[in-house]
Amino acid sequence: MTNASHEVAKGPHHASGAAPSALSAHSIVKRFPGVLANDSVDFDVLPGEVHTLLGENGAGKSTLAAMLCGLYQPDTGYITRNGERIALSSPRAGLQHGIAMVHQHFRLVERFTVAENVILGSRDLSYKLNRSELEDKVAAVAESYGLPIEPGATVGDLSVGQRQRVEIVKALYQGAEILLLDEPTAVLVPAEVEKLFENVHAMTKAGKSIVFISHKLGEVVEISDRVTVLRNGRVTGHVSGRGTADTKELARLMVGRDIELTTQRASHATGHEILQIRDLSLTVGGVNVLSDISFNVHAGEMVGIAGVAGNGQRELADTIAGLMSPTSGSISISGSMTTDRGPIHARELGLAYVPEDRLGMGLVPSMSILDNLLLTRDRRVVVDRTTVRPEATRLIEQFEIKANGPDHMARKLSGGNAQKVLLARELSGGRTATKLLVVCSPTRGLDVGAIETVRALLDDARSAGQAILLISEDLDEVMSLSDRIFVLYRGSVVHETPGESAQLATVGAAMAGLKPEGKS
Amino acid sequence: MNGNIWVLASADSVAIATTLILAALGALFTERAGVLNLGIEGILLTSAISSFLAADSSGSIWLGLIVGSLVGALLAGIHAVLSVVLRANQIVAGLALVIFGTGLANFLGKPAEGKTVTTIIKPLSFGPLSDIPLVGPIVFRQDPITYASVVIAIVSSLYLFRSRPGLELRATGDDPATVDAQGLSVASIRIRYTLFGGLLVGLGGSWLMLAQSAAWHQAATTNGVGWIALALVVFAGWRPMRLIFGAILFGFTLQLPFTLQAEQITFIPSALMQMLPYLATLIALIALSRPSTRNKLGAPKSLGIPFVRDER
Amino acid sequence: MRSPIRIVFEQRSETPKHLSVLVPLLSVVAALVVGALFLLATGYSPLETYSNMLSDGFTSSRGITDTLGLSTVLICTGISAAFAFQMNLYNIGGEGQLYLGMIGGAWAGLALGNQLPTFVMIPVVLLVGALAGASWILLPAFVRSRLGTSEIVTTLLLTYIAASLVKHFVYSPGSFFVTKNSAFPQGRLVPDSASLSGIGDTSLYPTFFLVILIALVLFWVVKKTEYGYRIQVISDSPRAAHYAGINANRTTMSVMLISGALSGLGGAVLIIGPFGRLDPGIILLGYGYAGIVIAALARNNFSAIIVSGILFAGLRSGGDKLQISTDTPIHIGVMLQGAILLFALGGEAFRRYHIHAVRTERATQ
Repeated sequence: MTNASHEVAKGPHHASGAAPSALSAHSIVKRFPGVLANDSVDFDVLPGEVHTLLGENGAGKSTLAAMLCGLYQPDTGYITRNGERIALSSPRAGLQHGIAMVHQHFRLVERFTVAENVILGSRDLSYKLNRSELEDKVAAVAESYGLPIEPGATVGDLSVGQRQRVEIVKALYQGAEILLLDEPTAVLVPAEVEKLFENVHAMTKAGKSIVFISHKLGEVVEISDRVTVLRNGRVTGHVSGRGTADTKELARLMVGRDIELTTQRASHATGHEILQIRDLSLTVGGVNVLSDISFNVHAGEMVGIAGVAGNGQRELADTIAGLMSPTSGSISISGSMTTDRGPIHARELGLAYVPEDRLGMGLVPSMSILDNLLLTRDRRVVVDRTTVRPEATRLIEQFEIKANGPDHMARKLSGGNAQKVLLARELSGGRTATKLLVVCSPTRGLDVGAIETVRALLDDARSAGQAILLISEDLDEVMSLSDRIFVLYRGSVVHETPGESAQLATVGAAMAGLKPEGKS
Repeated sequence: MNGNIWVLASADSVAIATTLILAALGALFTERAGVLNLGIEGILLTSAISSFLAADSSGSIWLGLIVGSLVGALLAGIHAVLSVVLRANQIVAGLALVIFGTGLANFLGKPAEGKTVTTIIKPLSFGPLSDIPLVGPIVFRQDPITYASVVIAIVSSLYLFRSRPGLELRATGDDPATVDAQGLSVASIRIRYTLFGGLLVGLGGSWLMLAQSAAWHQAATTNGVGWIALALVVFAGWRPMRLIFGAILFGFTLQLPFTLQAEQITFIPSALMQMLPYLATLIALIALSRPSTRNKLGAPKSLGIPFVRDER
Repeated sequence: MRSPIRIVFEQRSETPKHLSVLVPLLSVVAALVVGALFLLATGYSPLETYSNMLSDGFTSSRGITDTLGLSTVLICTGISAAFAFQMNLYNIGGEGQLYLGMIGGAWAGLALGNQLPTFVMIPVVLLVGALAGASWILLPAFVRSRLGTSEIVTTLLLTYIAASLVKHFVYSPGSFFVTKNSAFPQGRLVPDSASLSGIGDTSLYPTFFLVILIALVLFWVVKKTEYGYRIQVISDSPRAAHYAGINANRTTMSVMLISGALSGLGGAVLIIGPFGRLDPGIILLGYGYAGIVIAALARNNFSAIIVSGILFAGLRSGGDKLQISTDTPIHIGVMLQGAILLFALGGEAFRRYHIHAVRTERATQ
């Protein structure tokens, strides 16, 4: 497929030319309780090709991938491999047909070594395991694709990028001809993404087929030979030709309308300092998690913290919220010290905190919306639910939360609605009016509609004069919303820039720990 | 003081350790697969009385051992169905098994009350080796099952850490989702090792009956050994080799009250002396749960958590 | 060749009401069937055994008061277990805490009974018993909340230690708890001021109503108060509790102590009620273990425990009398208890999941 053809088609796509598809799905239907996850989906991938499944969260791409690798079975429809119909009753059957999946949440045993993880489940090994022999074998496979790994290392000690490499080596070791990569870039910094794409090219050159699953338009256009777009479980279009796809068109196919995730920044001069952090350091178990962090957030300002997961973001948020005590340094909210005084004291000074983990930290899954509203409030000795009930009803209406009323259990809310409940509680103030809002990854896992709503809510809060600290691994989000940006790397602020003049390359390099000036 | 009695006491510690090794190994295999079976005490009791009844009616000790072991696997099968297939709360299921097993054993044991087994499992003799002072009675005058239990522990260690299925077993206890993604059946692995664990516990219970007690004393036959075995697994950090030494140590505390009584050392009242094994276990458990040591122990990460493939 | 039929577990979003009643009921029936098989195999008549149990436990007027009398202590150990279980704290040492409650209650009665009037003594005996029960869980509670030591094995081990303690107090010569110069060791009866008589000369004591009241109060506390709210947050998601500034350690500690106190209260109730003395026979009765079954069957609901407690008391008192009247082993009652719980746990799956078999489509070659 050298000559780039650009077509947008509704309905099943048939690969042009004579090459038989390596793997095809035919009219796949899959239902889960209450959801039609795949509605007669057709999909195919050729040898040596990168075919992307593009769609929002919940569009059905992971479900389709799970069926292609044997994790689920379709309700109706069938799968062919090199033109022959195959039954994929389990992931084992998938592997036997040379189909392997690299999951978004890595399937690696942290306590095992790289080599042990790679060989786990392989049937063609002797009963007795010889450690050094295995490690040599694994290293050989890795090197043949230019994927450097250390077979004797414990997986728990590896970085996210390295673990992903182990997953890919595992698939190749098992003889995979078709690799399904589920949101592989979600956890990587820009430099690691580049490295991954190099690996993908090395694999396709060797004749492997790649099914690339993503919802990020930019990278999809860069890596894909073909793109199939899914929305609400249905195929809404196909685009072929590397680098030729129109992101606007793809976005419309993905969402069903034009999306407006425009840049929003403070429209007016910011007010006085609400949050002050001075020389904040935190050591956990002998490891410096945060070192010497100082910054302020003003009323009506949104400060963004960018960084790869695990560089101290969660600890920074927890420390500001009073859930952890810093080793040294101080935090004050509206001029009052909150260091070492606990979460309730911080809240009494106007703190609100939306943690990254919505269900399980921000919300209690088995409790109703009503009871969850009470979580951060003063509940008295006998919990008074009757006076809070009208407020709950009002908030459900105001935040357009899809629920059967205040008694709706939090666990049964969709991701977007759970986030709205959390924001409703935190923005409406509990012990006192909210002055400072700390939000972590507020739009992770949400569909575009919900992302728009959440961003609008944050923008409204900023306009209303609240100080907002936005901590997110989604670099685009931080770049497009923040008035000022700090990059956190290994617990230190390594880069600071105003939001308006922030450069993607510079911020990305800082996230990877490279000195911005040092980049050639 | 008679020095000889202490040599015999040490030999007894090794002997009593047999049940502990077997029961704890059974629990270890079960837990390594990620299943928490608290029902060990109930399984021990039921297999003990089953082996007694089988040996008593057939006159064959070996048949007793086989029946006792199979009954152990059968009861573990109940736990496997409840916790793996039906995803019940494993803690409550284990407790239910203890209560059921205790009631069942006592019910079955009604006709056995007051009887003793006619032939018990006898210690082997290695001729002159068994007469070596000190070492002889401790090492060379034990019964075949005692030797077997040590061999089983050593083989288990090799299996767990040096074999392909051992790797899969450890992975299942730590990270069942990964095992599932590799196309192995988590449920089948868990059920198999729960049954095998029950078999070992059953063998331990049968040995306790046929070599150690010889008579049925209702719940006093096991007297909490099952619970000590569970603590021993933690103590051994889920490693079979360490388990051998732990078992001998706990075995010593179990037989000490009897040795002291035989020696007529009565400065501690005997009823209080009987607390010793439980007290020692309790202290060991608490000492081990200091955060610094706990991380090194390496409990299987998904222990007691039913595996459900994410369906969305 | 593998069968093409797969069993599918589908999580129910709403549990049908009828299943909540049907599952425990069918568990009892299934357990009785299993019990009948064992009875048949060992040469007893299941029909006769069960009808005797039924009349001894429930249908005769004597049977009813005996059952309600026995339920007093079983409801105590039931709410004790449930109070801890609802926060995922598995206090399975209620048995040992009950022994301590008995020791404490007997001590209070013997030491103070001759100096104080009944209306003071009864609360004192109950209180001391409850405190003694709480003291027996203090160590497991402390190490659980501070070090994270699993409370399951620690509370259980302490039961064995408590049993030795009871034996020590009864069998060691010159013990405070026993009758001096008696032919065989036996606990000393507490003075009249420290015990009550059964209502209308039955084995139903006024403490029954106190225990029912406590169960209902706990029901209210858990559903309506801040303390109950906190328990629910911690049991569901400890991290949400941390987030909301709820001190989980302190709540863990207090929940376990209250659980221990409730089992201890059960022991003290026995001093006021039928026993009147420290009796080593308690070790064979397993009232504390029964509490675990009662709580699990009632799914830790305090008002449902009153019902399941009375049900089990009937089963037990009926089973106990069998031994005397028909020589059927007393242990049939305990075995049935365990079997009921096993079936109820299995049945729970049918309540939570819609389980059905599907035929998987196989590819034609």
